[in-house]
Formats: sequence, structure tokens, C-alpha cells
Amino acid sequence: MARLEVHYRLTRPIPLEARFQVQGFTVLLGRSGAGKTSLLKALAGLLPAEGTPFAGLPPERRPVGYLPQDLALFPHMTAWENVAFPLRGKDRKARALALLGRVGLLGEAHKRPGELSGGQRQRVALARALARKPELLLLDEPTSALDPLTKHQVLAELVDLIRKEGLPTLAVSHDPELASLADWLVVLEGGRILQEGPPEEVLAAPRTASAARLLGYENLFPARVVEGGVEAEGVRLRLPLPPWARPGGRVYVGVRAAEVLVVREDLPPPPENVLEGLLESLYPQGLAYRGRFQGPLALTLLLPRHVQARLHLAPGRRIKVVLKPRYLHLMPGEAEEVP
Amino acid sequence: MDPLFWDALFLSFRVAALASGILLLGGTPLAWLLAFRRFPGKALLEAVFLLPLVLPPTVLGFYLLLFLGPEGPWARLVGVSWAFRFEGLVFASVLFSLPFALTAYREAFLSLDPNLLEVARTLGVPRHRILARVVLPLVWPGLLSGTLLAFAHILGEFGVVLMVGGSIPGKTQMVSIYLYDLVQALRFEEAARASLVLLGLSLFLLALVRALEGRWRAWRSTTG
Repeated sequence: MARLEVHYRLTRPIPLEARFQVQGFTVLLGRSGAGKTSLLKALAGLLPAEGTPFAGLPPERRPVGYLPQDLALFPHMTAWENVAFPLRGKDRKARALALLGRVGLLGEAHKRPGELSGGQRQRVALARALARKPELLLLDEPTSALDPLTKHQVLAELVDLIRKEGLPTLAVSHDPELASLADWLVVLEGGRILQEGPPEEVLAAPRTASAARLLGYENLFPARVVEGGVEAEGVRLRLPLPPWARPGGRVYVGVRAAEVLVVREDLPPPPENVLEGLLESLYPQGLAYRGRFQGPLALTLLLPRHVQARLHLAPGRRIKVVLKPRYLHLMPGEAEEVP
Repeated sequence: MDPLFWDALFLSFRVAALASGILLLGGTPLAWLLAFRRFPGKALLEAVFLLPLVLPPTVLGFYLLLFLGPEGPWARLVGVSWAFRFEGLVFASVLFSLPFALTAYREAFLSLDPNLLEVARTLGVPRHRILARVVLPLVWPGLLSGTLLAFAHILGEFGVVLMVGGSIPGKTQMVSIYLYDLVQALRFEEAARASLVLLGLSLFLLALVRALEGRWRAWRSTTG
């Protein structure tokens, strides 16, 4: 897989030092304002920074394809003219059309950006960036221009295309959904790289509570380490303790909404971490149901529809949920860090 | 119609055309600087350029007369006084229309999406090609409408051109002054006809400006 080592230091507009790998389709997650766009612009040469690769080169001479959040297609040019913009020579139209064919937009070659959908505009911008033969592709919030209904499919197609081109790609986002499509996941927080690795690994074990929030852990509680588990808001939860957790230490405990399980009344109850309370709300979200549970802990739930089809839950019902130890993830309190 | 009317109208057109041409060529880079560059004294410079908007035209005309007159610094520099001459009228027109043109040009540049220029650079395209193929196609309606506005404004200016050019029929008598002289001489019928021609002309120019602005807006709206 195409890979690249990035080490960049910025002082303006925000201080930032980022050292990480780009491997295949790499997603860098960070809160808005964390400096994601600044990092991309610095890599494209549009903001002053030190580091490798490409340090000191003006934007014109960097082999980088930059797709800003709004894509910046030239509004007065058709799709093929946009793609041909970086090209020179007599055959530029033929080459531009070939590139549009590669992103599956040959039929749209004579349309202006205003006549294209968000996903199509994204692919025109990709073709235009490819025309300049980049060694690194930079995408700023690629999910933001997309219709929420078709977002996932359009993104998956885009990522497929990029993988076929075999270009190392850095996509920055605050959307955890993009993380699931990544070959490599990087978390930016407080001006530095907090964590990087294969997405399964990073998604399962964020190192801090704020990283967990970015990675889609909707249920996060400050807690205290006790014998055999933790105590969060007065509730004792059993879980295997990692070696760094000392009794009495302050930690965060997190669980994904999809991993809060509703207890079935017709089966023997689970041995531990069962909470009883009120299902406050429940509404469909895509093919799942999102609910709010009010008990000893307030939890957000995400039920697959086959579960809802079996349980027939309704708001106002008293239910039991279980927080299985293997889905509970422990993170140090903000002061400490995993060694 | 009085042949002097056509002389005056033709003179006004020549002055306005030349002055707005100079404004387009000189004002465009100046507006670019004001829109995108930061430098010390910028606020003061902007205030100076906007001054003709609030200054009584006769005050501006008076200073210009001193500046361009036989004893003034300009005459010493170029060797001849520009007061009461065609050149003086053009010089004055450029100056008092500068705020109109500059404001319109700067607005045109500021409405350019800076992302477009940045991305164009990352595509490895040299600056002169970005200027020719991205900047100019997107801003020209704005530049043209600013220039037309300045043109129309020069056609109608009275105080400054009277102070600087006087009213020498066939030489420095611009159409607005010609009209004033007609009224002074109580020749109302001719004044009415001349006014009607000017009214039609102004209306036509403004309609043209509006049409250009409409086209400009249609383009900008496709950016998003």
C-alpha cells in the first residue's frame, strides 16, 4: 500500500505539530478548530510551515492534489475544462475526457459545476487533481458536500476510486463515519497527534475521552477505579482493569450507543452490569432506532431494526440494559495518559 | 438642434471615454492592492481616494485649478498648464470618478472565492494563466459595470469641470455646462431637448450596468 511519512510544524494560525503515517486512504479525525484544514493547507504549500515532505516548495511545485471543503471548481468552466485547466498541449481535451472517464463522468463532461450533484462535483475535483499527477491527495471534509441520504454510498465509491489510483490520500474530517472507510486512522487533538493505527484498533481503543468522543463513543462517564471495575456516578460496573488503572484513580469509561444491549425478559438475566430504567424516547434513524435510556446512568442506545422487531420497544416503557464488560472501554482521566 | 450641443456632447463623450479607460487600466491594479494587500497607511490612502465623494465639487475643482494652472506644480512638471484644456478635463474626471470605479472594482475582486485562486496554484498553473483564465473571466462584468458607472458619472459632472475647464464653446464646454448656459440665456426649449437626450442616455447606461450585474450574480451563484 502506498505510504508516506508526514512531519509538519505550524505556528500560525494555530500552533500544531503533527507526525504521522499516511497509508492508503488515511483519515485524520479532529474536532472543528483543531487545525485540520490548516494542516492540509500547509501540506499544499498554502500556509507557512516546516517539515517533510515538500517543505519550502511553493504550491505550484508541490506534487499534491488538494480538494478543499467547497471543492473550488471553476464556476465558469465546464467539467472537462475544469479538468483540463492544469493540462497543456494540443491533446488536453482528450486527456481531460480520459480522466473524466476514469472517475465515471464522461457523460457530464459538458456540464458546468452548478449543474452537477455534490458527489459528481467531488469526482470532477478529483479528476482535476489527478490531472496534475500528484503524489499525495488531500481531502478537506469530504462528507460535508454530500446529501446525508446517499452520503455513505457516494463516499464508498469515492474511496474505491482513490484506492484504484493507488495514491496515498489524507482526508481530514470530524465525521466518525468516514473513519470506518479508512485504511489508516489518525486522531488529532490539542495541536498534536494523539493516536494512529489501523481503524479497527483505534476505533476500539481510543486513548482519551476526547478521542473517544471523536470516534463516536456517545456514552462517556467520569469514573473512579475500584476493586474489579469502576464506579461511575455512583454505579458500580465490573470490567477487566488494564494494568495502568490504579485503585482510586480517575478515569473515563465509555460505551458505544450500538453496544448498549437491551436485556430480553425471556432469557436468563446476564450476571453483571444490568441497569434498570425508563426508555425516554425512541425514533428511527436510517435502518436503526436511536433511543434515550434514563436510569442509574443516562445512556444513548442504537438498536438494529431486527432487535426492535423482536422487542417492540416503545417510549415510556421500563427496560433493562446491560453494559457487557468487553464493550466497556476505559480511558485515563484527562491528566494522565496511557504509557 | 444647435450644433454647439453636438460639440458639447461629443466633447463630454471623449472626456468620459478617455477618463474611464484610464480608470479601468489604473484603477484595476489599485483596487486589487486595496482588496488583498495589507500595508501601512492603507486606511489613510483609502480615505484620500474616497474624498471626492464628500468634498464639494467646487472645492475639488478649486484645488485642481491651482494644481493644474500656469503657476501650479503640474505646469512646472510638464511644461504647460492643463487648466481650461481637454487634458485638464480628463485629469479632473479621473480624479473625481476614482471612488466610484475603485469601490466597484474592489467589490468585484472581493467577491472572488479565494479558494479558487489557492486551488489554481496547487494545480501547478503559473500566475499569469490563473489571472487570464480564472480571475478575469470571473471579474470582468464587475469591472465593466464599474467603468460604465464612472463613464455615466463623468457625463453628468458639473462643478469640477466648470472650475477646471471653464466654458469655452467647442473646446471645454461639456454638455452639462452647455445646458446650464442655455438656461442662463433663458433658451428653455433647447434646454428641454438637450435634457431629454441626456436623460435617455443615462437611463440606457444604467440599464446596461444592471444587466451586467445580473449576469455577474448568475455566475457567482454557481460557485457554491
